[in-house]
Amino acid sequence: MSTAVERRSPTFADVNRDVIRTLAPPGQLYYAWMSLIGLLLACGILAWTFQIWVGMGAAGKRTPQMWAMYITTFVFWIGIGHAGTLISAILYLFRARWRTSIYRAAEAMTIFAVMTAGLFPLIHAGRMWYAYFLLPYVNQRDLWPNFRSPLVWDVFAISTYLSISTVFFIVGLIPDVAALRDASTGWRRRLYGMLSLGWEGSYEQWRHYRRAYGLFAALATPLVLSVHSVVSWDFAMALVPGWHSTLFAPFFVDGAIFSGFAMVLVLILPMRRFFGLDAYITDRHLDAMAKLVLVTSLVLTYFYVCEIFTAWYSGDHFERASLFWKVTASYAWALWLMYFCNCVAPLVLFWKRARTSPGWLFGVSVLILIGMWFERFNIIVPSLARDFYPYTWGLYVPSVADTTIVVGSFAWFFLLFLGFIKLMPSVSVVEVKETIPAPVKEGAHAGHH
Amino acid sequence: MKRRDFFRIVAASGAATAAGGCQGGVEHILPLVVPNEQIVPGVASWFATVCRECPAGCGVLARNREGRVVKLEGNPDHPVNTGALCVRGQAALQRLYHPDRFSGPQRRDGAALQPATWEDALGLVASRIRELRAGGRGGAVALVTHLESGSLAALMDRWVQALGARPRVTYEPFGHEALRAASRQVFGRDAIPYYAFDQAEVVLSFGADFVETWLSNVNHARDFARMHGFRGGRAGTFIHVEPRQSITAANADEWIRNAPGTEGLLALAVLRSLVDQGLADRRFAEAVAGVDVARVAEQSGVPAETIRHIAEVFGHARPGLAVGGGAAVTGTNATATLAAVHLLNAAVGAVGRTVRFGPDSAYGQVTPFADVARLVEAMRRGEIAVLLLGPDVDPAFTLPAGLNFAEAAGRVPLVVSFTNAPNETTRLAHLILPATHWLESWGDYSPREGVLGLLQPTMAPVRDALPFGDALLRVARGVLGTEEGQGPLPWPTFEAYLRSRWEPLVGDRWGAALQQGGVWRETPAATVRARVAPVDPGPPALQGEGLTLLPYPSFRFYDGRSAGASWLHEAPDTMTQAVWDAFVEVPAETAARLGIAPGDLVRVTSPQGAIELPAYVSPTLHPSAVAIPVGHRYAPYHVGRYVSAPPTPMNPVALLGGAVDEASGGLAYLAVKVTLAPTGARRPLAILQATHDQDDRELAQHVDLAAAREQALRGAREPHALPSMYPPQQYPGYRWGMAIDVDLCLGCQACVVACQAENNVPVVGKAQAAYGRQLHWLRVERWAEGEPTHPTNLFLPMLCVHCEVAPCEPVCPVFAAYRTEEGLNGQVYNRCVGTRYCGNNCPYHVRRFNWYTYEWPEPLSVQLNPDVAVRQLGVMEKCTMCIQRIIAGKDRARDEGRPVRDGDIMTACQQTCPTQAITFGNLKDDGSEVSRLQHSPRAYGVLEELGTRPSVLHLRKVVRQHA
Repeated sequence: MSTAVERRSPTFADVNRDVIRTLAPPGQLYYAWMSLIGLLLACGILAWTFQIWVGMGAAGKRTPQMWAMYITTFVFWIGIGHAGTLISAILYLFRARWRTSIYRAAEAMTIFAVMTAGLFPLIHAGRMWYAYFLLPYVNQRDLWPNFRSPLVWDVFAISTYLSISTVFFIVGLIPDVAALRDASTGWRRRLYGMLSLGWEGSYEQWRHYRRAYGLFAALATPLVLSVHSVVSWDFAMALVPGWHSTLFAPFFVDGAIFSGFAMVLVLILPMRRFFGLDAYITDRHLDAMAKLVLVTSLVLTYFYVCEIFTAWYSGDHFERASLFWKVTASYAWALWLMYFCNCVAPLVLFWKRARTSPGWLFGVSVLILIGMWFERFNIIVPSLARDFYPYTWGLYVPSVADTTIVVGSFAWFFLLFLGFIKLMPSVSVVEVKETIPAPVKEGAHAGHH
Repeated sequence: MKRRDFFRIVAASGAATAAGGCQGGVEHILPLVVPNEQIVPGVASWFATVCRECPAGCGVLARNREGRVVKLEGNPDHPVNTGALCVRGQAALQRLYHPDRFSGPQRRDGAALQPATWEDALGLVASRIRELRAGGRGGAVALVTHLESGSLAALMDRWVQALGARPRVTYEPFGHEALRAASRQVFGRDAIPYYAFDQAEVVLSFGADFVETWLSNVNHARDFARMHGFRGGRAGTFIHVEPRQSITAANADEWIRNAPGTEGLLALAVLRSLVDQGLADRRFAEAVAGVDVARVAEQSGVPAETIRHIAEVFGHARPGLAVGGGAAVTGTNATATLAAVHLLNAAVGAVGRTVRFGPDSAYGQVTPFADVARLVEAMRRGEIAVLLLGPDVDPAFTLPAGLNFAEAAGRVPLVVSFTNAPNETTRLAHLILPATHWLESWGDYSPREGVLGLLQPTMAPVRDALPFGDALLRVARGVLGTEEGQGPLPWPTFEAYLRSRWEPLVGDRWGAALQQGGVWRETPAATVRARVAPVDPGPPALQGEGLTLLPYPSFRFYDGRSAGASWLHEAPDTMTQAVWDAFVEVPAETAARLGIAPGDLVRVTSPQGAIELPAYVSPTLHPSAVAIPVGHRYAPYHVGRYVSAPPTPMNPVALLGGAVDEASGGLAYLAVKVTLAPTGARRPLAILQATHDQDDRELAQHVDLAAAREQALRGAREPHALPSMYPPQQYPGYRWGMAIDVDLCLGCQACVVACQAENNVPVVGKAQAAYGRQLHWLRVERWAEGEPTHPTNLFLPMLCVHCEVAPCEPVCPVFAAYRTEEGLNGQVYNRCVGTRYCGNNCPYHVRRFNWYTYEWPEPLSVQLNPDVAVRQLGVMEKCTMCIQRIIAGKDRARDEGRPVRDGDIMTACQQTCPTQAITFGNLKDDGSEVSRLQHSPRAYGVLEELGTRPSVLHLRKVVRQHA
């Protein structure tokens, strides 16, 4: 991490070298991490098997919290899955050039996050073996899913999002994997060859590629807003005090972008450090992301204030009682932890040094991820704990099984991500090259072009 | 034999075994009164019999499907309960199919029990008695049973006489001996009268828990509802005096908390005040000449003003009714206390109107406790050589610790128990001869004069068992060496004896009598005249130091005989809403002083012993008392499966010395003082209701009596209509709905267990219930308002209210929750994926989720209603308004070519309700009772401001500003 590297713009050759270097055979540290992750994942799978075997009673759910940590974590991962598409599609359309070096990792994160989130409706269902009932498949009894149910909307929203982002991701990869194909041998060559779809880098192919990429970006853009809006309607469409609010769609979308960027930072900062990608993921990039985090945090704070204000201003006894209880009683610690993590901690990003310091940024991002997980927890668990009917009020206590499954989901996500960075170029070779000056002959004037 | 034939035989015998249940061949399944050809698979047969879970003797109809009884209902023809059953009656099935029932006769071999044959076992008893008789010691044979008042009692008398045994003992832990002694003292009649609650205008109770266990709780509850329920602008008044707020007290318009043991003094003070106010016969002045109202006020803690007010209300009643004598307030002064109550009745002219001698209660035949104690003494002295303990008689559990029954039984060479499932006494018995359950037996029982109920076998015995009467006859034949048809006891079976006794009574109308469930006759009223003499119900003698112990009969377990049923353990105690575990009610002041928090394990010590129980901190209990329910025990199959074993017994009789009310010979339950000490351990109670405070949510609503009258005059209620964008739902046929009168609900929990029995609702156990995973489709909530020490209680039965705009329906992704054309909120189990969204979105939280695969320990699964699906792991379930009954009702109507008429279909909860608080019917029929009630000005929908438009409406409780 010499200062010379930071000062000098990387050349095309540097890009090729640096990116291909990330795919070199991993070291011991990598295997150590993978083992730990594999162990946690195995525990999670075991816990899930146990839960399927004995029933949902293995998870700590009860009346009135028929939903708890699984839906919390589901919404959390869906939220994480937002930053990737935002970076790759919206920022692409807005021509924000700083996205180029981070968007690949962010997109991968998106897909893995959605893949992780997608497990939770299955984990959560009492009879997961009948989860296909939610799909509108043709059957002899003319039975369809209930299109009025937000859960069915979820099915469509998430599957659409997953397929579009996957296609977008794969299309974006084409020129890069083609480059890898040409530089690799054995099974990697076959894999890259398959994924590169016969890419030769001809003018015609570039023309089509650009056209297609822009189109997918335009397609993916509304999804960034729609998916989390739909997920938020799981709550907003219900009667439960603390859920039944028109605020939820923008509130959730903002929170999703907020947590998504935090996760991008959490993934990219170590990557930059270990792979020595400082030349590509520069302080300018960090600064730009930190500013986005800060803005979304401020917006989120505004939503929190709105949420409290509307609960109070509505004069509705149930809303008020629910709010008062959440702020003061059993789960108040979770609420205040969330306010601290999401509203107070990001304020340090007003300070320029913090915005460009990997240490500060990493710390704040981890806090934000904790805060955002608890945001969903606070929406689900305490709201249900004190809803309309005092007879059934009660507190949810996590069980060993559901905690293990939630931890296992993180392991699953990191397993996918760590696998990805050793298999695919985690920085886009092509787009990074686009942003640096084209190579010129030795001795020519550097300021040419 | 050909291979094909072999398979045919195997298949046929396999089917026979399967159909026959656990024991016995297929030909024994059906009781003899119904020829086999009358049994149609899929169609239920109903058998009338008599409930023997307590001495009240309610009529029962047993619903038999394919040879097995699956449901009990009250017999509508029976004068005691007219169709209703209490919580214990509903749960009796679980004792019939009790998993721990003995598989046949057992003989003790050291600590273990070894199976024996009937011949050997009965032969052993007979030979032992024969030896004793030969040695001139026939009197060393003792026979103890619960209260029997019919042919079995007569047979036992003959048996005792023929064998020269000791006079038989009729042992009832709650024998009401003092009531009988007081009648003797005041009216010169050795009997317990019939109390006509329905004829009273004002009921004044001195600790009589008449909607729980006192005398005949279903009968009293029904009559009380008739007297007290708001109807046509009229409603009676109920004042209750008791140190503890029992369920009965919670139903009073005015609950007066007195110092324990001062009920008699208060009764006299009320009488004195009546006389002073000129509201009573002057003749009674003599009895209360020495009574000083101010002094009584001081002793009892009840202000003199209140006493005068009670007297005024009671004196103006046309007529009034005063009752007393709940076990918890039965002290050594019990007879004097009840004599005072009798005098009160006599003074206001209630005797002959609401207090009727003539139809005397069977309770009058109970052997006084003092004689039971004498028997135990004789056992201890070695005077008893053979002790025969009738079915369910459990003295080791129910007798006070001071008698030390176990030690005395150790000196009896042969203890024989006829109980069919293990209990504390069978543990001491040398020989266990399991008697058939009352649902498997012939018999008769007369709870009061003029009511002769008939018992018949409703199915073949579940396990190898012998009717108790048959066992007695066979032993007698063995002893006397006679053949069938000869000697003093010639009848081959008890059934034959029963028939011979009923022959002159019914002649050839035996079948009709069986079908009706017995024979009812008018009995001439006996006129009695009160002997006016001063009575002195001074303070009861209390042994020990500390707080007065109030051991009260549990409305769920009675003396403990019903406690084998897991349904009863899981039906909450209405006041505390605690399930499974027993508890000690500690007054809030004492708890604060001793640093006892709810759920702390507390050591309760009396001069007789100590027991450890978790604390329930009660804001209402009198500060000088602690209260523990009697009868709490677990059956072996409960322990480990549903609940962990308690370290000490839970029954407070373990703290009693056995003090006796001298005048009656009755056991004084109010006899000891106890000290409390926290043990430091915790055993939190499983309490189903998070809070008794409604937090201004108006779930259970009430209306003042005056306002209710005014509204009743003004007419129908304004329908609660919120604007809607959608057209109203159309109901092409019927629209089912319900009305639940909160004014009539007494909180007895009978509906909860009836629903559980009807709808195959599993039992989950203490830990799961504590964690909000109980599966009841129906719950009875208790909401308290006003002063915490003196709250007004509202009992709110809550079930799926089948909203017209149901929040659960649109959120279900697969249409498992959907609205039927008949206005029900359906739930398709096969379609349910288990997202539980509906459970979150139901504002009433009446949807229940199958967290696990629940099991019915064999043979309890035989009880499952074949018309109702047993739900699988992972699906949501809830009240269906007994859809299976609706379908059956519609089928019946269709077969008869007519529409369903009002009253054709009754839900299980409605059917068993002693006060008829629940009404079900067709809302589209303007003439139906449910339509009428839903248009009552008292009707409201719980949380209807959410726009759910419930099909189940509740009717507001009518409260009085002043009683």
